[in-house]
Amino acid sequence: MISLVLLSSGSGSRMENSVPKQYLSLGGKPIIIHTLERLAKVKEISEVVICCTEEYMEHIARLIKNHCPQLNYKLVKGGKTRQESTWNGIQVCENGSVMIHEAARPFVKINEFERLALEESENAIYGVEIPFTVLKGNGQIDETLDREELVNVQLPQKFNRDKLLDAFEQAHANNKKFTEDASLFFEYYPNDAVKILEGTVHNMKITYPIDLVIGETIYREYVLGSETN
Amino acid sequence: MTTAIVTGASRGIGRAAAIEMSNNPEVDNIVLIARDEVKLSETIGLLNPRVRARAIVYDFSSQEGIPSMVKEIYDEFGSIDWLLNIAGYTDPKSLLDTTLDSMEITYKINVFSLVEMTKECVKYMKQNEQSKILNVASTAGMTPRPGWLSYASSKSAVISISETLAQELSEYNILVYCISPGRAATDLRKKLAPEEDPTTIMQPAHVAKVIGNLMRMSEHCLDGQNMVVRKQVK
Repeated sequence: MISLVLLSSGSGSRMENSVPKQYLSLGGKPIIIHTLERLAKVKEISEVVICCTEEYMEHIARLIKNHCPQLNYKLVKGGKTRQESTWNGIQVCENGSVMIHEAARPFVKINEFERLALEESENAIYGVEIPFTVLKGNGQIDETLDREELVNVQLPQKFNRDKLLDAFEQAHANNKKFTEDASLFFEYYPNDAVKILEGTVHNMKITYPIDLVIGETIYREYVLGSETN
Repeated sequence: MTTAIVTGASRGIGRAAAIEMSNNPEVDNIVLIARDEVKLSETIGLLNPRVRARAIVYDFSSQEGIPSMVKEIYDEFGSIDWLLNIAGYTDPKSLLDTTLDSMEITYKINVFSLVEMTKECVKYMKQNEQSKILNVASTAGMTPRPGWLSYASSKSAVISISETLAQELSEYNILVYCISPGRAATDLRKKLAPEEDPTTIMQPAHVAKVIGNLMRMSEHCLDGQNMVVRKQVK
């Protein structure tokens, strides 16, 4: 069985809204609920550890009671950074295999969780190709990058729990900061293969106000318009 | 196993729909809900004996008991697949004779209980591959007459609620149908139009036949639309 850490402690400052984006409404229900409802149907996931601010714990518990009361979950206090929140979550996971997902990605499908869970490689992530050019630079171009060699990293991701925990401890000890978990894992376990599964462009992260507008269309056309949610 | 709940099953369209459901081979269990125990027992006696039937006496002027009632139904039958919200109430009065208390009773039965029943059933329906909800509104919800303030506006609400929920619940493959019967020979119609000869208008069994056809079909093109059910008078 697998534990899943759901990151939900972001403040959503880029959303220009006092309510964090994961609690805003999309398709008539809070963004976080889209993922939680599907997680409640994934047999391979036995527990969901939700990392959130203390302020929203009661709110999340009420939402789960209303929308997916059968979900087995724990609420864990998030940290000051995404990295700290993930670390807090992994520490309380009961299973040897752990998935990471973020509440602001509401269009992940049940079969994507299942495919990741059933993937033979114990470490795997979703990724999609980059359809635009990325350069290295700050104010001026320092270096060109070959986009054929780059991957747009998505969630959910799956890791060996003990090794991931160890990687987080090392990163903490070295005071190293990462913006996502596959990079952190790779830094300390470069010889452990992390498989990249082909993701879908629909599995976007809601970040800016415009994403809510795009998200409504994705929900209507991609989620409601398909047989498997 | 398909379990169907029919509210307002003690008379009129609710009773006729319950009988129609009992003749549908897809349905295994029928739960009938109404406040009149005697008439509810009469309905049970009219059902096709092939179904397992249970009668629950409940007055929809209060909503407090709905969550536990629905849970009991789920615990007994193991699933809730179809919900037919048919219970209705009217107390026609002109604006100046209407009190908020009388309006509240109409809304409690026609709107709030329908919402609460739907909400509680959907909690269980979300576990199913497919479920169906049918709400009985009324043409009064679209073409009201003087003196029908509470009833007509409550049925407008039922139409709107049905359209909203058809979209909101489509992700869970829960189909929400809404029919608006025109003049039908029911006790409720007698209150709205006491001068009318009931033998000259549509009978509850006619409406029940339409309900039966809708519930039997697994089509996805009629949900979320208000469908008028009328029989031409000869």
